[in-house]
Amino acid sequence: MKDLMLKVRNLKVIFPNQMGVLKAVEGIDFDIPKGKCVAIVGESGCGKSVTSLAVMKLLNSPPAMVRVDELVLDGADLKDYTDQMMQEVRGKQISMIFQDAMTALNPVMTIGKQIDEVFIRHGKMDKGEARIATIKALELVGVPEPKSRANQFPHQLSGGMRQRVLIAMAFACMPKLIIADEPTTALDVTIQAQVLDVLSDMQKKHEVSLLLITHDLSVVANMADTIYVMYSGKIVEKAKVRELFLHPHHPYTIGLLGSIPKLSDEVHKFVQIPDAVPHPMFKPTGCYFHPRCSHSTLKCSQVMPPLKTLLNGREIRCFHPQNVVDFEEVAHE
Amino acid sequence: MSKPIILSMKNVSVHFPVKGALPFSKKRVVSAVSDVSVDIFQGETFGIVGESGCGKSTLANAMIGLVRPTSGEVLFKGNKLYSLSPQEFKEIRRDMQMIFQDPFSSLNPRFNVYQIISEPMKIRGGASVDEMKKRVIELLELVGLSEKDLYRYPSDFSGGQRQRIGIARAIILNPDFLVCDEPVSALDVSVHAQILNLLMELQEKLKMTYVFISHNLAVVKSICDHMVVMYLGNVMESGSTKAIYQHPLHPYTNALLSAVLDVDLDNKKERILLQGDIPSPINPPRGCRFYQRCPYAMKGCVDKKPALIEIEPEHFVACHYINPFAQEEINAGLAKPLNL
Ligand SMILES: Nc1ncnc2c1ncn2[C@@H]1O[C@H](COP(=O)(O)OP(=O)(O)OP(=O)(O)O)[C@@H](O)[C@H]1O
Ligand SMILES: Nc1ncnc2c1ncn2[C@@H]1O[C@H](COP(=O)(O)OP(=O)(O)OP(=O)(O)O)[C@@H](O)[C@H]1O
Ligand SMILES: [Mg+2]
Ligand SMILES: [Mg+2]
Repeated sequence: MKDLMLKVRNLKVIFPNQMGVLKAVEGIDFDIPKGKCVAIVGESGCGKSVTSLAVMKLLNSPPAMVRVDELVLDGADLKDYTDQMMQEVRGKQISMIFQDAMTALNPVMTIGKQIDEVFIRHGKMDKGEARIATIKALELVGVPEPKSRANQFPHQLSGGMRQRVLIAMAFACMPKLIIADEPTTALDVTIQAQVLDVLSDMQKKHEVSLLLITHDLSVVANMADTIYVMYSGKIVEKAKVRELFLHPHHPYTIGLLGSIPKLSDEVHKFVQIPDAVPHPMFKPTGCYFHPRCSHSTLKCSQVMPPLKTLLNGREIRCFHPQNVVDFEEVAHE
Repeated sequence: MSKPIILSMKNVSVHFPVKGALPFSKKRVVSAVSDVSVDIFQGETFGIVGESGCGKSTLANAMIGLVRPTSGEVLFKGNKLYSLSPQEFKEIRRDMQMIFQDPFSSLNPRFNVYQIISEPMKIRGGASVDEMKKRVIELLELVGLSEKDLYRYPSDFSGGQRQRIGIARAIILNPDFLVCDEPVSALDVSVHAQILNLLMELQEKLKMTYVFISHNLAVVKSICDHMVVMYLGNVMESGSTKAIYQHPLHPYTNALLSAVLDVDLDNKKERILLQGDIPSPINPPRGCRFYQRCPYAMKGCVDKKPALIEIEPEHFVACHYINPFAQEEINAGLAKPLNL
């Protein structure tokens, strides 16, 4: 498919240890169309970061063991790329924005220098040109007084400013794909709103594809085109943002959406999902969500439901999907 | 008839010294909490909201005797908390407990559940092992765990379960005042509702007063009766939750509310994006502490601190712009917003 920036098929990541095998990612498929923002949403430990690291081929092996059938970036299958080739890809075609800017930035180098380097390496600029580009890039992401800020070290900036610097850096090499792993989780609400705004603006302006990884459905509501919901290493539902929020099919998605308190709520009790996410070493048989699910039947406890594709392109892994509309019959299994 | 006041703070300020870069450099202080007065009613839930570093935890710590205010007074059930003898303080402190944000670091990993939960009772003394055990089992059931968990260790539990253990420990001595400092923010999203519901159930059953610290305005709306909105150690807006959410008046409160990312797709509200960062609480602005980021800041906001005034019953706001007198001045062309 020409209009896909990233196509991932059957990605599996396991971590063998003394007690057995921890299955972090259990064969997931996802697509990122060109110029779109796709989100992977799920709770802590469901395999989001491992997925993004696997796409970048940044997982160390051992301990990780990664298998993938297809990992196609803009038509090129990266599956058999060597480390050296990947380094080229990572700098030029994919860049990443991490949750913790402090570890992503070099603490002993000014932020200006760090962004300059990207321009020098990838934009083939000289030092002077690079600095001009850096200042412009900082300005674009809303860093005030970019000229003097460029001479500051990461620790001299606030969390929100550091995250902006990471965004500026991620866009500096004009990548095809940006992966943002919880880019605003560590930030305060008003700062989070600013940073998401910048990220969304930049993504649209530069028409890059964005893979947004987060545990926060309210963040993706305002950013993403398509959402994949992950639970315990598997994709359980995929839908366009609007469809997912208006007609969530999977009981887990329904539970998550219901448990987010809304400002418009007048209730004094929160809708709760019982129990907790299964331990990754001891996942239940059948559907991983069945012990917490109010719709589960005997079958759910015995057989893992397959991921079905509905006629409108939505995907759902559940024997008892909810809110399904008539026309959404199963396209194929 | 309003409920009796259980805790009251009068003009409390807490300053922390900052080590200067040079030994002779000007002494600097962090003004973590500055001139805050609140009354908390018995049996209610009192919310403290605001962004990181605005002084929420410091304020709560001052309430329960963990941080001595630099100035001002804290009265708990009519007793001046910081004028009590150590013995009196120790006794009264049993009525005030706290639940921490991080259930991973707040439980001693080498103690089992029984040891963790019974510790406050053991320290108080006067109970036999059998009594303690009975009480711990009772509490485990109350917080949704069971007797089977008695001899397990924190590492065997999920975050939500650990928070339940923390709650059991906090309420073992029947406190009537419980500070919940961001009790769910370290937990998986799908267990937030469980823990919040549990806290509300316990409050109902045990008639406790809660101080609930959160940065989630939607949660505060659902569970708090009264609240304060803080910014850089100052109270910007306070009063009944109902009044504040019905007409949020302070520009900061409005910005906070509009920054709540709603999952309600059709409820597209006008977003107010604040400019700039939260300034440092070291040598904060003289006037309104919010003026640098305020879209309505006027000249007067720079040097004159707005007083907290009652705008409607049970609704206080500290803002020159909202103040009806300032409005008159604006209308008369005597004052005008700076950044508009
Ligand atoms: N280097 C590693 N060695 C062993 N196990 C790992 C390693 N990295 C991740 N895991 C495990 O893989 C699973 C998925 O982890 P991952 O970091 O992808 O979760 P996540 O969805 O990003 O969660 P969070 O929201 O907390 O960041 C977890 O159970 C984790 O413990
Ligand atoms: N023991 C201390 N010594 C020096 N400064 C302190 C101390 N405790 C808190 N502060 C400072 O006081 C200010 C208020 O801190 P506080 O922890 O009360 O904020 P908070 O609103 O609880 O923030 P958060 O949401 O991050 O928990 C901060 O600037 C903080 O750095
Ligand atoms: Mg992660
Ligand atoms: Mg705090």
